[in-house]
Amino acid sequence: MYSNGTVVSSCPIPSRVVPPENWTQLPEPLGQTPGGTLFSTTPGGTRIIYDRKFLLHCRNSPLARTPPSCLPQIPGVTMPTQHPMGKLEEQDESGKDVAADDSQFVMDM
Amino acid sequence: MNNKFDALKDDDSGDHDQDNVSPKDCEKEKSEDEEKDPSAAKRKVVIPGAGEHPLQYNYTFWYSRRTPGRPASSQSYEQNIKQIGSFASVEQFWRFYSHMIRPGDLTGHSDFHLFKEGIKPMWEDDANKSGGKWIIRLRKGLASRCWENLILAMLGEQFMVGEEICGAVVSVRFQEDIISIWNKTASDQATTARIRDTLRRVLNLPPNTIMEYKTHTDSIKAWEDFHGLVNASGGR
Repeated sequence: MYSNGTVVSSCPIPSRVVPPENWTQLPEPLGQTPGGTLFSTTPGGTRIIYDRKFLLHCRNSPLARTPPSCLPQIPGVTMPTQHPMGKLEEQDESGKDVAADDSQFVMDM
Repeated sequence: MNNKFDALKDDDSGDHDQDNVSPKDCEKEKSEDEEKDPSAAKRKVVIPGAGEHPLQYNYTFWYSRRTPGRPASSQSYEQNIKQIGSFASVEQFWRFYSHMIRPGDLTGHSDFHLFKEGIKPMWEDDANKSGGKWIIRLRKGLASRCWENLILAMLGEQFMVGEEICGAVVSVRFQEDIISIWNKTASDQATTARIRDTLRRVLNLPPNTIMEYKTHTDSIKAWEDFHGLVNASGGR
């Protein structure tokens, strides 16, 4: 560990290396984005943490689009085709963190 | 009411107490005793598919609905809570979620529940019986977005409270909607405080939104008191 150019000795943080065969190669930019995907070590062990942006990104993958094989048919609840990624999606992927400008949150006093 | 566990059936915050489940797991499952004892939860193993991003835990979606106005007896009060399916990866989650109606578009007195696999969305499950929940009442129009942000935070392990999270519920009601997140230990104030703080951070709630913590035990008492009162004045 370096601090202002000098080497500072420290205790290594316990960590677990996940071999590539057990883990998907992340798209380059996301793999390096802080808060994208982390194998984070916390008291109690390593946890798999994803931030919202990364989870939303995964939605575009072909692996994420087909209906589950045994989706129960409940009219008005489940549907065989995806709902269009319309308004909700646009607001979510506005490029900044969750909708400071979301009109739904305007208080009508 | 035959036992106190039935007390939560009419709880507005969406609690349920119902054994009428129809387990339906899917996604890379290996089922063992297909035909034996259909009332017992089938032990199906759901695992991430090749190339998919695993979640810290597996989760199960449930759905429930009831017709309001029915008498509150344990029989007719069947909550008809159904499993929609279980998933073990981010991609599997989206496959379910993208094929489910958004809460804001549900009709009637309906709930979605998203709980860790093996935990029933019912008070009397071992994981829940000492637990409680944060509930947030929302005016109409906010539930879809808030539910999505809530479950993304839960699936992404944003709450940072170890094993404490049990699941989340969105409850569609007549003039308001309610989202809630359940944890195992109601008395653990450090945990409940951290959950509350995470909720504020991830949900972007309207100003002046009230968050309320209720233990499941208190919810039962409240239900009992309410129904006792109503019956005394002439029944429902």
